[in-house]
Amino acid sequence: MKTVIIKECDGIEIPDVYTFDLNKEAVKNCIGCWSCWWKTPGRCTFADLNEFYHHYITADKAIYFANVTKGFVSGNLKTLFDRMIPLYLPYTTYKTGESMHVPRYENYPDIEFYYEGNFERTSSRQIFEDYINRVFYQFYSKNIIIKPIREFADKGDSK
Amino acid sequence: MKTIILNGSPKGKSKKSNSQIFAEKFIEKMENPCEIKCIANNSSEELAHYIKDYDTIIFILPLYIHAMPGIVMKFIEELEPATYEGKHIGFIVQAGFIETAQHKYLERYFEELARQLNYGYLGTVVKGEAAGIYMYPQMFKKVLKLISNLGVAFEKTHAFDKEIVERLARPYELSKLKLIILRLINKVGLGNIGWHKMLRKNNSMDKRLDRPFL
Repeated sequence: MKTVIIKECDGIEIPDVYTFDLNKEAVKNCIGCWSCWWKTPGRCTFADLNEFYHHYITADKAIYFANVTKGFVSGNLKTLFDRMIPLYLPYTTYKTGESMHVPRYENYPDIEFYYEGNFERTSSRQIFEDYINRVFYQFYSKNIIIKPIREFADKGDSK
Repeated sequence: MKTIILNGSPKGKSKKSNSQIFAEKFIEKMENPCEIKCIANNSSEELAHYIKDYDTIIFILPLYIHAMPGIVMKFIEELEPATYEGKHIGFIVQAGFIETAQHKYLERYFEELARQLNYGYLGTVVKGEAAGIYMYPQMFKKVLKLISNLGVAFEKTHAFDKEIVERLARPYELSKLKLIILRLINKVGLGNIGWHKMLRKNNSMDKRLDRPFL
């Protein structure tokens, strides 16, 4: 089983796994040009994520370690989400009763999403978790787990 | 009351930016049009400092992956809570998908953000099916008129007009009848016409289903 890691939290090192470190890689911002849909289908106009795209789309599981930033995902992680668009087709399907883009690939990785940071209220946490869940639902990831990072540490201890 | 408008489109001050078109329409009929600044054309740090002189901030932005574009979140990271009461923040979000239920995750977050920043929340105006505005402005005359009226009402009342907001937000979800029609349009291949026109123009039609990263 192939796993990839996308992280922006300190102190997470998992050996022998492809790791994309958002603190080290400066991901170019999506510029809304739609080249990935109507000029060079499936390819972004920027090449900085080509290696990442390959590892992500061929993985069975993607594990995120994210920093909660002002109650949301950080700007860096949001930029990475924006740049996922080449992995989908421009067409819209209405099969689920709402508008969704059509998948470009057959499979997308399952998601384990761990977040570090506190929320002022229970409702703030709900807004964050609902958003993450929605992102990966419409990214066609079948199994999605979203948890505070301490639960990843607990899981590690029990092994 | 001093209001500034921030265009959150990554295209910035461009004729191809629907958010810029919205921003210009919003101020078009105002007696004293507000200033518009583009997040994409400024440094986040400097812009966050610049807007401290304003009582009210209105973001106009496209919906990217059910939320704000990355550059807008990077800008939000620079914002500090207001140190006195009476500041306000509002949002206008336009998207490609038809139904505005697609915006609900971001609406909830923006309300939460206003509270965190100690700003009064003016609300989030949402408009779906807006991707084609810069390409076919003639087809969107009514929408652009509504945005212009929204701006006029805002200048007078310092609020988003409820009736206009409700009209722009329609439909919230796709009705059963609309779904049948849209599925039929897709079935006979009419749903993809616009995309295929552009793909052909770019000599990329045969590559449209490529999977380059396997």
